[in-house]
Amino acid sequence: MRVSKTRKVFLYLASGVLAFWIMGPILWIVDASLQLDNELFSIPPHWIPENPTLDNYIFIITRDPPAVYQRAEMGHRPSGDVLAVLPALKNSIIVAGAVTILNLAITVFAANAFSRLRFVGKNTTFGFIMTSRLIPAIAVAIPIFVIIKNLRLLDTYYALILTYLAFTLPFTIWFMTKFFEFMPSELEDAARVDGCTRLQALYKIVIPLAAPGLAASGAFAFMAAYSEFLFAVLLTKTIASRTVPVVLTSVAINDDVSYALASTGVVLAILPPIAFALLFRNYITRGLSMAFGR
Amino acid sequence: MPAVQAWRLPWVRIGPGTRRRHVFAYLSLLPAVVVIGLLTIYPVFYSVDLALHKNVLTQPKQQPFVGGKNFVDVLSNPALHRSLGRTAEFTLMTVGGNAVLGVLIALLLNQRFAGARVLQVLILIPWAIPPVMTGIIWRWIFAGNVGVLNGALYSLGLIDQYYSFFGNPTAAKLTLVVAQLWKNVPLASILLLATLQVIPHELYDAARIDGSGAWAEFRYITLPFLRPTLAVVLILETMVSFVTFDLIFAMTGGGPADATTFIAWYTYNEIFTNLNLGRGAALAFSIAALTLVMAVIYFQALRSESLYTDR
Repeated sequence: MRVSKTRKVFLYLASGVLAFWIMGPILWIVDASLQLDNELFSIPPHWIPENPTLDNYIFIITRDPPAVYQRAEMGHRPSGDVLAVLPALKNSIIVAGAVTILNLAITVFAANAFSRLRFVGKNTTFGFIMTSRLIPAIAVAIPIFVIIKNLRLLDTYYALILTYLAFTLPFTIWFMTKFFEFMPSELEDAARVDGCTRLQALYKIVIPLAAPGLAASGAFAFMAAYSEFLFAVLLTKTIASRTVPVVLTSVAINDDVSYALASTGVVLAILPPIAFALLFRNYITRGLSMAFGR
Repeated sequence: MPAVQAWRLPWVRIGPGTRRRHVFAYLSLLPAVVVIGLLTIYPVFYSVDLALHKNVLTQPKQQPFVGGKNFVDVLSNPALHRSLGRTAEFTLMTVGGNAVLGVLIALLLNQRFAGARVLQVLILIPWAIPPVMTGIIWRWIFAGNVGVLNGALYSLGLIDQYYSFFGNPTAAKLTLVVAQLWKNVPLASILLLATLQVIPHELYDAARIDGSGAWAEFRYITLPFLRPTLAVVLILETMVSFVTFDLIFAMTGGGPADATTFIAWYTYNEIFTNLNLGRGAALAFSIAALTLVMAVIYFQALRSESLYTDR
């Protein structure tokens, strides 16, 4: 079918607008991170930096203020808070990584049980897990704080890992159960007839077959754990366990902090989830359609 | 030995492997149940316990049982009603925007042209960015002093002075809507696109032969196919928008005055500013109950939807 020229023009125009809407804010943040405050504050703003500089990045990475920052305006003590971004990134990645791995380990067993086995209490337990998905975080904020405090885990990785596990498991278990239901069980049955135990069937057959679903599931868990904010604020106190969202927000809300520096912090902070999303995008889109699509 | 005699329950297949199967199943589920039970279900009960006592952090020694008083105090507070109203208004705007923009973008991405693939990749990026950072980025775009939006409007000559978006109640609400849409429309469009891709082409060809126009095609072919997915998108977006917190924290702080104090922020203040744990717990519990009820209503609607579309 011949596509009319006006239609093509319209499509490209619409795509341009969409691309600009999606990438605009991010490109601006990157743009801002390559400028220094005196240039950033100019009215109207410089869309293309006239003096692009990597000084912001150098400052954050080497913790050594470049010559430019020795001047009074840049060497603000509040701006020094931005230096916490790298340690916070480390914390975030460790916590999110642990949550992802534990999630995968637990959901493989749980989804296998729900989709392949018949046992007493199956529907009740499944309902129990699904209902907990609907509980908003703010409703359990104080009790979780008290529990973690009584376990003496405040301000540690464990507090966040446990809490995020509790919040991600319902969704990932639901997702993997659906995925397992899509997988035919003939191979496992054949293996069991040949003498495999359930456990062996699980790791020899089911897990390799379920790898795409596990990839998507892992990506979701990682994103959720990395992005979480409320409990990160409640349960952490020092940079020992503070995650990136907390550090960045305290920096961003403080209007004394150098905008350029803070923008750099944001750029560094959004790199991991974007990298994850792009790497796993096929699994993610297919996973999302399977989970929510009809 | 299973807790109930297996032969009493007709749906449980009894046989030589029953006990082993049960042991395996229970062990498989143990970690999940323990974690979720400890950190989600138990806290709900604890929350109820908190809500039934007077518990103010500045008076730790007096915690008498007050029954439903906390609930009554909290639920009859007109500030809460106003907050609920604002939250509903916000949710309506984001859900509507999500549906409309989601469909439009999905339709665009479904066309065959060079940029479609690239856009399909790009569209994942806002979804991947954490909500707080979305809030931070948009906070700086709308900012009154270095805001890029102000800068653009100024360069284009549309305004001659930078405008304070966060100082105006309506504008502040709209900034939240824009940020929320930027973050959530990608997900909606991915889901809708997946559905669009399974609509058989023959339907459109047949319609075209019969002389239908684009709008009729959309209304009678595309839309019915999209309905179930749209329902899912609406549910998801409602649930997410109703408890919006991160964006408020990063962008408006509930202000100006309390123009953007939506329900989650209101609860947060009740707990952490007023330090009244009893009332805070009552409030949090009520909100949880409300979202649960909404979810149940939605799921019922969804189930009847799929009956209608004969899947």
